[in-house]
Amino acid sequence: MAGQRFVAASPLPGFGLTFGFTTFFLSAAILLPLGALMIRALGIPPTELIDILLDERAVASYRLSFGAAALAAAINAVFGFIVAWSLVRYDFPGRRLLDTMIDLPFALPTAVSGIALATVFSPTGWLGQQLALAGVQVAYTWLGVVVALVLIGLPFVVRSVQPALIEVGKELEDAAESLGAGGFHVFRRVILPTILPALATGFTLAFARGIGEYGSVVFISGNLPLKTEITPLLIVIKLEQYDYAGAAALGFFMLVMSFVMLFAINLVQGWGQRRMGIGATR
Amino acid sequence: MSIALDQVTKRYQSHPVVNDVSLEIQQGEFLVLLGPSGSGKSTLLRAIAGLVEVDHGRISLHGRDVTGVSARNRGVGFVFQHYALFRHMSVADNVEFALRVRRMRRSERMARRAELLKLVSLEGMDDRLPTQLSGGQQQRVAVARALAHRPEVLLLDEPFGALDAKIREELRRTIRKIQQELGVTTILVTHDQDEAFAMADRIGVMHQGRLLEVGSPDDLYARPRTRFVATFLGAANLLLGYRKGNQLRFERPRAEAVTPREIVAVIRPEEVELTTGDNLEGLTLVGSGTVQELQFSGPTERLRVRMPMEGPLPATPDREGTDGTTWLLDASRTFPEQRANPLSIGQRVTVSARRIHSLPTPISSFTVIAREMPAAQALRETPLLATLATRMQTRITMLTTRSGSAPPGMPVLAAGPGARATALWNLAHGASQLLVLPVGAQIPTRIVVLPGAEAGVGALGVAASLLRHIPAESVLLAIHEASTPDRERASRLRLLLDARSTALAEHGLDMRTELRFGDPDTEIERELSVDPNSMLVLGLDSLADRETARLNTLLEGPRLRPVLIVPALGAA
Repeated sequence: MAGQRFVAASPLPGFGLTFGFTTFFLSAAILLPLGALMIRALGIPPTELIDILLDERAVASYRLSFGAAALAAAINAVFGFIVAWSLVRYDFPGRRLLDTMIDLPFALPTAVSGIALATVFSPTGWLGQQLALAGVQVAYTWLGVVVALVLIGLPFVVRSVQPALIEVGKELEDAAESLGAGGFHVFRRVILPTILPALATGFTLAFARGIGEYGSVVFISGNLPLKTEITPLLIVIKLEQYDYAGAAALGFFMLVMSFVMLFAINLVQGWGQRRMGIGATR
Repeated sequence: MSIALDQVTKRYQSHPVVNDVSLEIQQGEFLVLLGPSGSGKSTLLRAIAGLVEVDHGRISLHGRDVTGVSARNRGVGFVFQHYALFRHMSVADNVEFALRVRRMRRSERMARRAELLKLVSLEGMDDRLPTQLSGGQQQRVAVARALAHRPEVLLLDEPFGALDAKIREELRRTIRKIQQELGVTTILVTHDQDEAFAMADRIGVMHQGRLLEVGSPDDLYARPRTRFVATFLGAANLLLGYRKGNQLRFERPRAEAVTPREIVAVIRPEEVELTTGDNLEGLTLVGSGTVQELQFSGPTERLRVRMPMEGPLPATPDREGTDGTTWLLDASRTFPEQRANPLSIGQRVTVSARRIHSLPTPISSFTVIAREMPAAQALRETPLLATLATRMQTRITMLTTRSGSAPPGMPVLAAGPGARATALWNLAHGASQLLVLPVGAQIPTRIVVLPGAEAGVGALGVAASLLRHIPAESVLLAIHEASTPDRERASRLRLLLDARSTALAEHGLDMRTELRFGDPDTEIERELSVDPNSMLVLGLDSLADRETARLNTLLEGPRLRPVLIVPALGAA
């Protein structure tokens, strides 16, 4: 089409330059390594690949990784919502400090949070001692993995839900109340559905992060094969044993899962935006 | 009575945002609450809906006291400025929300929904989501939703605020039509006076939490009672005028035997006549000035005339365009007028008025009286006077010389030695009220009114005027001396109760009454000591020594407080 331009004037130099840089950067930083991983994994004969992926130890690690991540994300969805609610709806002394603290798990090196958790929850730690009396052991069990992932995933839920809650405002509640709805009805029929896309986004992000988490988990999980070994750790172990094919295969599997998750997040966001135009974006 | 508000007060952090509002609205009436932002109108509306709890007062809907009833059980319809539609629900689900809550059967619900969508002209939009509708359509859905449960009262909070002009006009008409069709009692809150004029049966004007005036649009425009309403509803020139008998003039009185009564005159721009000749038949002369600004605005021509301060004085001190020696008067003319008498910038014109409305306010301006300028200045800057003048939009002039009569406006003196004599002289020479202030006095938090028998009406009027601008507690006081005969006691008690009902009926003020027994001077002192920040409004029945003796202690005694003296008519 003669003369049609899809580029508007902008303060950054030429479209050619910026677009070129974007493609280069994406290729160098993301596509190239992932592509290499994929080629390496697909170079393995299919039967062998399936054997690696369906190996007993690998399957156990998937179960733990996905199960713990899902459980942690679910816990975070509930408590993250409550945290976001109190941060948005109430004004109390220290609110801003608390608001800042939510992001701490983001900023902290994951190994640090891992060691911190291990210290607190080990059978000799502050909380571990008390829990041991109640017959519950957290450190070196699957529970420990869940605890670590809850810590890591909380900011994702809070930061997703918070803007949506701000946007809901008091007015929707007032409207529902003036139409005769009681407190629980208002929450279930008005507030929850309105922020649901945001909550779903938060859940998915926390879940995705949970699957990939390594640093904070390895210290508290105990890393017992078949019991408390997460998939990323298994990859590391395989690498240490010079089993590059095995590591690549597992890596490939994780990559596919990540893509599926990303795709799901996008679907959720698109659905939310179509439905109410808010809350689905972070 | 469809809606009755009785002394409704709402405070945020002890600051009253809705202050002592009483109002009754008839079945089927369309009332518009008009006021600038922050005047408390939205808070009042929310209080009626039950979305805000009141601190004091009662709200009843159709005779049912709902003050303590939650919003969900009040059965009102509420429309919000930003629609507040449930965005995850279709138009149909939004409209049916209140019906589902009430567990109405599906078939009935659908019939009611169809009826409502027809009412707001949105037939066939049932399955749309709010995000797929325009702003105007969304607000229509909000109206339909608010009406679904057949509320007895419809409340609209700036419903057109977020819409553009054309849609606004259209929706205005729709809502008015629906309201008349259904006969539902409606309150609409807005800051737009055109909207108020276009829709209201009655307008209530709110300012600083108070409901200043309520009336039909034309009545409020033609006969406002307060400065605020006069200037907020349409443009107005507020001038100090002087009345002697039936004659009203704007030239300031100079040393006259009888002080003319000072009034605040409202002259609407369209009532101003600008002439170059001297034929003023049927007109009241205002003064003369020069045309400073000519502005063509469609059907009318708007003019501003620069007037010298030596001529008529604006009643409000901080009127736009005022400098040290001149001020600007607004005028407007229709095309035929403009053709008949074309004017140009810089031309000298005689200004007169076709129609003048004088405000019934008891306080037109303050005149600070002192021997020397520094003392006058100190009195003028006393917080009580300065704040009061700012809030009342009232001019303060300063006077250091005594002429043959009391100055126009309310004389203000410093309390202390000599105050009593000056006060009595001014009261004897035509002052209709007088304020005596300790220099540096603060805004009072408690106003004690001792009305007197003859002076009661005037004292109450002035007290009401003060209380409209000062959020203070007010007490009506009567004192029985030991020597008072029983017969007189009964009549005094009746006077006190009469005064109380007058305050309530005429000024919308609920005053506490206090009956004390004993020596008047001691009892007054006791009553004033209840709060260190008290002020006394004292009605004087005559200027006889017996009556004025107590001024000695009040104006010159050891404990000085602000005292406003209101003599009975003819007391001098």
